[in-house]
Amino acid sequence: MNALQRNNVVERGLPDGPPMVFAHGFGCDQNMWRFVWPAFADAHRIVLFDHVGSGGSTTSAFDKSRYATLRGYADDVLEICRELDLREVVFVGHSVSAMIGVLAAAAEPSRFGRLVLVAPSPRYIDDEDYVGGFTREDIEGLLDSMDSNYLGWSSAMAPIIVGNEDRPELGEELTNSFCRSDPEIARHFARVTFMSDNREDLARVRVPSLILQCSDDVIAPDTVGAYVHERLEGSQLVRMEAAGHCPNLSAPDETVAAIESFLRA
Amino acid sequence: MSSDKTLFADAVELFEDAPCGYLVTRPDGTIIRVNRTFESWTGHSRANLQDRRRFQDLLAPGARIYHETHYAPLLRMQGSVREIAVEIVRADGTRLPALVNSVLCTDEEDRPRLIQTTVFDATDRRRYEEELLRSQRRERDIALQLQRSLLSGELPTRPAVEVVYRPGVSGLEVGGDWYDAFDVVDGTTFGLVIGDVVGRGIEAAATMGQLRSAVRALASTGLGPGCLLEALDGYARRHGVGQMATLVYAELDVESGALRYSCAGHLPPLVLPADGDPHYLWEGRSPALDAFGVAARRPQGACTLRPGSALMLYTDGLVERRDRPLDEGLEALRAVVARLGPRADLADAVSRELGDDGHDDDVCVVVTQT
Repeated sequence: MNALQRNNVVERGLPDGPPMVFAHGFGCDQNMWRFVWPAFADAHRIVLFDHVGSGGSTTSAFDKSRYATLRGYADDVLEICRELDLREVVFVGHSVSAMIGVLAAAAEPSRFGRLVLVAPSPRYIDDEDYVGGFTREDIEGLLDSMDSNYLGWSSAMAPIIVGNEDRPELGEELTNSFCRSDPEIARHFARVTFMSDNREDLARVRVPSLILQCSDDVIAPDTVGAYVHERLEGSQLVRMEAAGHCPNLSAPDETVAAIESFLRA
Repeated sequence: MSSDKTLFADAVELFEDAPCGYLVTRPDGTIIRVNRTFESWTGHSRANLQDRRRFQDLLAPGARIYHETHYAPLLRMQGSVREIAVEIVRADGTRLPALVNSVLCTDEEDRPRLIQTTVFDATDRRRYEEELLRSQRRERDIALQLQRSLLSGELPTRPAVEVVYRPGVSGLEVGGDWYDAFDVVDGTTFGLVIGDVVGRGIEAAATMGQLRSAVRALASTGLGPGCLLEALDGYARRHGVGQMATLVYAELDVESGALRYSCAGHLPPLVLPADGDPHYLWEGRSPALDAFGVAARRPQGACTLRPGSALMLYTDGLVERRDRPLDEGLEALRAVVARLGPRADLADAVSRELGDDGHDDDVCVVVTQT
């Protein structure tokens, strides 16, 4: 199976334009970018995809050992770039995908032109002087929340969802489908995401980057954004008015404007 | 008519004393209004909430992450969310398990204006769900333990046997693939079996345990593969065990390389000769165990494995895919084995090559080298 199928890659925009790859974070799927990518479609080749286990990805491609760390997800990004022969990629990653982009850019710097990190955090759990915002118990609490929320996924629905990868219209009608994922895989992704520690990897990036820091973001607070900015060489930090963790949904105009001005510079 | 007025609550009363908590918030979650029910359930007074706290601030930390990563995005994309389970932290620090529904109200230009949320006390329901989850996990653990204890026996060293067992990725339950390898007659004849029982979980693990014991016991009487499967068929029928289970049983004379085998509804063994192309063993085939309620005749096949050959038994997870016919899967396996050629880690290499193709079934591969 190739990466384009596995990751449900969808292309939009100018086929010959400079490529922009949008990566969704933990929780939902590529629909997270629905209010943002259209603003870049007239000048860029837009590449959207789902991480394995999310959205329309091939669930059966999930492999615990491959995805034991964020590196496995970064390898998927690199495989997509290779299969589409993308160069000078503008990588836009939200939440955990910001760090996935950091790992991919550190591994193959030549592929990437710029990184846009939306609400990034290199480590979510507090560690000595470092304040990530969460404790291990908090993350266990998240796993409990996930256990009690199937979001339209139950063993009765799973065969219908999984068996109709080629009939997306069936999937569209299911409630909560944007955040639907195989519960076992979602738990695994949650653990890998929130237990990850990629602070050391920031120093390995040489690609110009933009950090979009939201106000009142409980998942990636101000201090974390400042930490990333300090350790990511040549990075630019923009503090947004948008509150919360998902400015791509709650404040698409502000998000688009910030990315546009970064790309123009 | 006048009695209706006293019977029916007015809108304010409906709101304040509704049998559910009510919250109205701004799009960023800042609470604008709560009802009396919410106040009494949570112990938070409206004076301390309205314009001071956001809804997500009232959630336990885990639920707050869930709110930011699932709830808020879904609400924005769908315009409503239903039946989301959260824990609300009460004023006294205890937690209220709740189910919440929200709708997003927008203005004429489709910009978010307000969020209306109802909160239902789900204390009992949550306790019940947790019990169900716990028992489901316990059952899986038992089945896994049972299966591991059955499959972890020591393998004979002569001939060398290589086993790869990889459980499928999806679902909570263990699968029905099993294998065994043992000396039949003190060091000269060697028995090898691979099978797949119907179903998953504890029941499947128990079935494979019974079949495994029965095969070992029957093998020691010197029946030979065909007669052994006939006897096993009788055992299955008499005791109501392993109906429609498939298996291959093979006996190899270690000295001469003489191989006898019989397949009950199972995929054919593959032979990789020392000098030649791999081929399937298509003889000795009969239906799955206790398949049609009648005793099936169980023929057996025979051939000789020259020194340096490999015999591969495997389960359907290695070759079956939803999107291609079985014969293509078999051809793919043959081609991979032909390309890899003889090697000590053949089972591992084959399962890596074919396993990466995307599967959610168990995969079991047993290879013996002569």
